[in-house]
Amino acid sequence: MFDGLLLFGHSIATFATPTTIAYALGACLVGLIIGALPGLTATMGVALMTTLTIALPSNVALLILICTYVGAIYGGSRSAILLNIPGTPASAASCLDGYALARQGLAGRAMGIATSGSVLGTWIGMIGLALFTPVLGEMALKFGAYEFFWLALFGVVISGNLTGNDALKGWIAGFLGLFVAMIGQEGMYAYDRFTFGIHDLSGGISLIPALVGAFGFAEVLTVIKERPPKIIINAFDTVIPRIQDVTQYWRTIIRSGLIGTGIGIVPGVGEDVAAWSSYAAARRASKEKDKFGKGSVEGLMAAETGDNACVPGAVIPVLTLAVPGSAPAAVLLAAMLIHGVQPGPLIMVNNPQFVYDVVTMMLFASIGILIYGLTLTQLLVKILQVPQTMVMPVVFVLCTVGSFAIASRFFDIYVMLAFGVIGFIMRQLNYPMAPLVLGIVLGDLLDKNLRRGLTLSDGDLAPFFTRPISFVMFCLVLGTILMNIPAFTNAVARLWATATAPLRGKSSDA
Amino acid sequence: MEDKKPSPFVDLMSGGVWLALAIAIVVISWKMDRLAHLQASIYTAPALVPGLLGIAIAIMGVLLILRSVRAGALSQPHLAIGNIRDHWRVLTALALCFVFAIGLIGSGMPFWLAAALFIAAFVFVFQFEDRKAAGTLLRGAGLAVVFGLVCGGAIHYVFQELFLVRLP
Repeated sequence: MFDGLLLFGHSIATFATPTTIAYALGACLVGLIIGALPGLTATMGVALMTTLTIALPSNVALLILICTYVGAIYGGSRSAILLNIPGTPASAASCLDGYALARQGLAGRAMGIATSGSVLGTWIGMIGLALFTPVLGEMALKFGAYEFFWLALFGVVISGNLTGNDALKGWIAGFLGLFVAMIGQEGMYAYDRFTFGIHDLSGGISLIPALVGAFGFAEVLTVIKERPPKIIINAFDTVIPRIQDVTQYWRTIIRSGLIGTGIGIVPGVGEDVAAWSSYAAARRASKEKDKFGKGSVEGLMAAETGDNACVPGAVIPVLTLAVPGSAPAAVLLAAMLIHGVQPGPLIMVNNPQFVYDVVTMMLFASIGILIYGLTLTQLLVKILQVPQTMVMPVVFVLCTVGSFAIASRFFDIYVMLAFGVIGFIMRQLNYPMAPLVLGIVLGDLLDKNLRRGLTLSDGDLAPFFTRPISFVMFCLVLGTILMNIPAFTNAVARLWATATAPLRGKSSDA
Repeated sequence: MEDKKPSPFVDLMSGGVWLALAIAIVVISWKMDRLAHLQASIYTAPALVPGLLGIAIAIMGVLLILRSVRAGALSQPHLAIGNIRDHWRVLTALALCFVFAIGLIGSGMPFWLAAALFIAAFVFVFQFEDRKAAGTLLRGAGLAVVFGLVCGGAIHYVFQELFLVRLP
C-alpha cells in the first residue's frame, strides 16, 4: 500500500511539467469535442489520436490517449443534455434525465451534475485501478493456456451478450472478429492462413485500420444516411456543480462508481452498459423512482458516474491480462504495444511504475474535464451547431490518415474502407460492433492458447474443465449462453419456484 | 445500437450469408496444410482454430435462420430496399469517399490538396438542396472551397509538421 503511494507520488512528480500538462489539457479538449459531436465516438477519437501521437515518447502519447478517452466519454453528455442526442453511446442513458432537465430550463445544472458525476466517477475508477490492478495482476500470474483460452472466449461471449439488444447477433459479430484475427501468418509456424496469395494480408488485419473503419467510416455513412435534423439548443443556466447534488446523492455516486468500475473490468463490455446498469441500480434503490426519466438529478448523476468510472475499470484488464475492457480500451492496448509497453500478467513484476503512471494519467484527465466542464460551455455549444455535412468529410479524411500513418501502408486504407462498409451494413442489420473489435483483439490469444493447451495436455480436454479458474470461466461462458435460451431460463424459474415453495408457504403461514 | 430492428426476412438473408461464409471457412480450413512434414502435432495445426470458429459461425447462422423462419420470414419474403433514390445520400457519400481514398490519395497529388478537394466536394454536394432552396448556391460553393482548403491545410500542418506523422 505504502509502496503504491510512493510510486503514485513519483508518477505525479514526473508528469507535472508544463509541457505534459499542456498535452493533457489539449487532449481532454479534443476528447471533449469528439465526444460532444454526435457521430464521433471515443473509440474513433482514441484511434485517431494514436496516429497523431505515434512519434511522441510513450508516456506522453499514452497520457494524450487516456485524456482523449476520458474527455470523449464526458463530452458525450453535452449533446445528450443540450440536443437529446448521445454524443457517444455511453451517454444514451444521460439523455433521459439530462434532456428532461434541459427542457425545464435546467440545462446548466444538468451539465454541472454531469461534470461532478464524471469527475467523481473517474476518481472512484482510478482508486479501483490502483487497488485492483495489483490484485488482478497477482491472480493473472496463475493463468495458463487453458485459462487464457476461456478468458478470450468469455470476453467475446459476454461482450456479444451485453453490448447489443440481440445476443445471437452479438456472438456472430464476436466470432467474425475472432475469425478476422486468423487471417495472416499464425504465431506458431508462420503459416499463411486465408491470405489467398495477397502479400499484404500476410501481416494480418491491423486493429487500428479495422477499428477506424468500423467506428469512423461506418459512422460517417450512418450519419450522412439521413438528412440531419435542425439543431435546437435549449437555454441554460449556470454550469457550476452544486455541492448539494453531490452530498445528497453520495450513495448513488459510490454505488454507480463501483458498478462502472466493475463493468469496466469485464472484457469488452464498456461504458454504455456501465451507464445503463448504474442508472437501473440507482432507480431500483431510489426513493424518488417516479422522477426517473422526467429530469431526475439522481438518474443523471448515476449514468454519468457509471460511464466515467468504467474508463479506469476498462484499463485494469488491459494492464493485467492484455485484454481490453471496452472498445476504446482495445485501441489503448494496441497503442501500448505500438509504443513498446508490454501489458499482461507480469506488469506488476516488471513495470509496476507504469500502473501508477496510468493512475496519474486518469487523475490529470479528470482535472482536465473538470476545468473544461466549468469553462467551455459556450464554445461547445458553438461546435455543436456546426452542420454534420461539414464535420463528416473531415472525419473521413482523418480516417484515411489514421489508417495509413501507423505503418505507412496503402493497404491499411483499403482495410479501413472494407471494414467501414461491412460495419455500416452490419449496423443497419442490428449487429453490434464492440464484439467484432474484441474478437479481432482476442483472436490471437484464443488461437495460441487453445493449441498450446491441447499440446500440453496431448489432446486431453480435461484440463480445460478441471483446473479451478478454467472451471469457473467455463461455467461463466456456459451460463452466459444458457441465460439466453428461454427454455432454460423458464426451467430454472420453475425449479426455483418449486424449491422455494415450502419456504414461501411457511412465511405466508407465519 | 440501432433501435430499428430489421425484418425477419433480412435476418434470414444475413443468416444465409453467415452460413455460406462459415462453410467456406470450414472447407478452406479442412484443405489447409497440416504441416505433417514438420512433424507438427494435429493439435497445433494452423487450421484447427479457424475450422472450429467456422463451425461455431455455421451453428449461429443456422440458429439465426431458424429464428427468422419462426418469426415469419417466409411469409413476407421481400427486402424493403426501396427506390435507389432513397439511398442517394449513402451512395454519393460512398462514391466520394472511395474516389478520395483510392483515386486521389497516392495519385501524386499533394495530400492537403486532395483533402481540400474532397472536403469541398462533399460539403457542396450535401448542402446543395438547402443552398438551392435558399438561392445561395454560389456562396455555398465558395464557402465549401474555403472550408476544404482550411481543413486540408490544417490537417497537413498538424499531422506532418507539428506531430511528424507521415501522410499518404
